[in-house]
Amino acid sequence: MKELGVEVLSISTDSRFSHKIWNEDELSKMVEGGIPFPMLSDQGGRIGRAYGVYDKAAGVDIRGRFLIDPDGIIQAMEVLTPAVGRNPDELIRQIKAFQHVRATGEVTPSGWEPGQATLTPGPDLVGKVWMAWKPE
Amino acid sequence: MTTARVGEKAPDFKASAYVAGEGFKNLKLSDYEGQWVVLCFYPGDFTYV
Repeated sequence: MKELGVEVLSISTDSRFSHKIWNEDELSKMVEGGIPFPMLSDQGGRIGRAYGVYDKAAGVDIRGRFLIDPDGIIQAMEVLTPAVGRNPDELIRQIKAFQHVRATGEVTPSGWEPGQATLTPGPDLVGKVWMAWKPE
Repeated sequence: MTTARVGEKAPDFKASAYVAGEGFKNLKLSDYEGQWVVLCFYPGDFTYV
């Protein structure tokens, strides 16, 4: 994430005190030096409500991930119920694709990875996507 | 209240945070304008997944 120039913020309804102890006692044993990014506290779920991820019955924020561009616009989101963890590879792919689109104005087809062909939208491409791109 | 949608402005917020090596801090999402941000909600510290 550092290499991609992306700031990560994690957030849960736990207190900042809980974050500190969790980082020091457990996470630092999983990741050397502990978690390098800010761990935000959303006690009461006010922020989770604004993002549509607050579970009122359980009193927690469910697993929601939001990719926000330098203009503060949400470009991508993914929301999962608690039992399934995320796939960072797909997040990284999306970051690279959105950064490419922002830099070039091109668009990226399904499953695009850096280095693969992109599409340039315009009248000439209508009905001709099949010539430029096929699903694998 | 604003609701998060793709293609629209991310709702700004203030939050207290723990930052390893720095201690406790108050942050705003708008502090990060001009940068890409991944905001990750999760259900709780010390849980399994």
